Amino acid sequence: MLSYLIFTLTLGGIYGLLALSLNLIWGGVGMVNLGLAGFFAVGAYVSALVSIAGMPLPLAMLLACVIGAMAGVIATFATIRLRGDYLAIVTLGFAEVVRMVALNERWLTRGSDGVSGIPAPFRAELGINGFNMFYLGLVSIIVLAVFLTMRRLDGSPFGRVLKAIREDQELATFAGKYVTRFKMQTFALSAAIAGLAGALYGHFQTYISPDHFQPLITIYIFLAVTAGGVGRPLGGLAGAYLVVFFLEATRFLGELFPGLQPGQVAAVREILVGVALLGVLHLRPQGILPEHIAPAPKTETTP
Amino acid sequence: MSSFTINRRVFMGGVAGLAATGLLPHSVMAQGGPIRLGALTPLTGSGGPYGPVMVKAIQAVAGEVNKAGGVLGRQIEIISEDDQTNPEAGVRAARKLVDVDKVSAILGTWASSVTTAVAPICWESGTLLATVSGADAITALPHQGYIIRTQPTTILQGRKFGEFAVEQGVKKLFFFSPQTPFAESQFNNITAAVKAAGGETKSLIYDDKKPSYRSEVDEMLAYEPDVIVLGGYAADTTVLLKDIFRSGYEGKKIAFAYSVNQKLIDSVPAEIVEGIYTIAPSPAQSSSAYKRLVSLIGVENPDPYTTQVYDQANLIIMAIAKAGAADGKSIRDAIRSVSQAQGGDVVDNAVDGLKLIAAGKPINYQGASGPCDFTATGDISDSQFRYEQVEGGKLKLLKIA
Repeated sequence: MLSYLIFTLTLGGIYGLLALSLNLIWGGVGMVNLGLAGFFAVGAYVSALVSIAGMPLPLAMLLACVIGAMAGVIATFATIRLRGDYLAIVTLGFAEVVRMVALNERWLTRGSDGVSGIPAPFRAELGINGFNMFYLGLVSIIVLAVFLTMRRLDGSPFGRVLKAIREDQELATFAGKYVTRFKMQTFALSAAIAGLAGALYGHFQTYISPDHFQPLITIYIFLAVTAGGVGRPLGGLAGAYLVVFFLEATRFLGELFPGLQPGQVAAVREILVGVALLGVLHLRPQGILPEHIAPAPKTETTP
Repeated sequence: MSSFTINRRVFMGGVAGLAATGLLPHSVMAQGGPIRLGALTPLTGSGGPYGPVMVKAIQAVAGEVNKAGGVLGRQIEIISEDDQTNPEAGVRAARKLVDVDKVSAILGTWASSVTTAVAPICWESGTLLATVSGADAITALPHQGYIIRTQPTTILQGRKFGEFAVEQGVKKLFFFSPQTPFAESQFNNITAAVKAAGGETKSLIYDDKKPSYRSEVDEMLAYEPDVIVLGGYAADTTVLLKDIFRSGYEGKKIAFAYSVNQKLIDSVPAEIVEGIYTIAPSPAQSSSAYKRLVSLIGVENPDPYTTQVYDQANLIIMAIAKAGAADGKSIRDAIRSVSQAQGGDVVDNAVDGLKLIAAGKPINYQGASGPCDFTATGDISDSQFRYEQVEGGKLKLLKIA
């Protein structure tokens, strides 16, 4: 049971990084990035492939961030004129492109066989249980560091500019802010965090394949950020842990309904995920831990 | 701010409550209780049509054995989890089975990516993994014997497809497949067989989630094949067949029996599927194990995966009895002594097998999917294939060879 909890918390941390990444770009600048799984995949593949080729793990993970950020910059260039739904569709397309490349460029990614035997840090030295503990610590520290950075960013002038862009891009431009540059920086940072999450996932699981990066994971993270509270790092992070716990906890529901067939239990789980989201949105549309700053401050209160 | 504090409490309470539901079944666990086996099948996602029946077969075997007194004096409990046909979800489910339920074996992983993702968890924790996945790479993993597979390798399957096409007098063969771990190996082995008979081949890999395959079909028509081979699964093959029909192609079509199955045939107009040949590793349909399975689960034509997990469940239960212990390592070491003991009594189900094991006799299991003899790497060494053709909305048996 303990090792299961450790595993779940580690996975929660990785989901948490993805949620922080999404919260930055969606909650910050208001760009709907449905391509999260794509950046996650880029990070996972980069780190896995270069570390198998012999690069030390810290460098491999760093490289995953850098390539992730580069992918982010490219994606921003391609989508800079798009907003709202159009941006969402194009980013979704980006994730699918990444998955298709991973599936079909067999010389690089081994196609649908996937990349197995990804090195895991200190696994041989620590043993399986020791490694799992160590990795939970590593992931948690990284999550904490990224979270604190995001919170700092959120309250900084940079964060305020992002929210200004989110609320009214033209007005931000009018106020002298170079919107394109801010968008690009934010997208790059967000993609780098997603890439880091991918790298951590790959070295934890030791196996990745294109099937890992189906849009399902993006949906889970949107669920996490929506439920947690868009625009507030703590909300996204808490939402991610909550989603992982919810997904895992619903496994045990089958035992409460002995009359159901296994197929029906699986369906009930999926229904519960949907119902939970509806419930949160109905009861707390702004999320469990909503943003601190009211989106539109009242102006008439000035004397 | 004060409202936020209350919300955080409510929120933390909610988290604690959810975590507590996770802890609940743990307290119910006890040593010396039932022997737990995990069924990890695709209950949702693209494997969704297969998983539920597979679990039913596994549970039926356990039920039969439990009714006859269990094994080693203990009952068998099947714990079913959904792999969602997704390796990320599959790993989470496998972790739960291994860490929380402490299962001795996991049966039924279907998609090759899920099997490959779950495999390290199994061999590291000493849990046997019995799979129905086809990718050749799976048994090449460093699995220390913890993987057994009842699905014939694609090398064997590809050769059978090629040889059958040659029997149909193929000159130009066109191979349609989504990108699967076995597509390339399948095509290479088909090509080898067709080339040997003086024919030629071409392949097209498509995306299995597209709503239409017009452009793919046009490419096929431009090649002017006289035989096409469909390498996909049921969902994408349905769409593809409709587009092939609309294109007016009149040559022969060969498909996997798991994709062009009765369900697919019933779901489309008869003329679309008329005349398609299907090939499958044959469930040993004339075998007594197959007949037992049919009456046990009440399904008229169980698919190959269901017959395979039925055999896996029987073999694992008998291996537990043979080893006298229910841990994964003992099952691993004993499984070949019940599947293929030299000169052993032939059995077709675990209940009879357990009696013979108790009497100290060697046994040789002959299952519903075939003879179930395993090589040192965990592949099955022999399989029959079943050739059928769609005729008036029904599958007509041509031969089993």
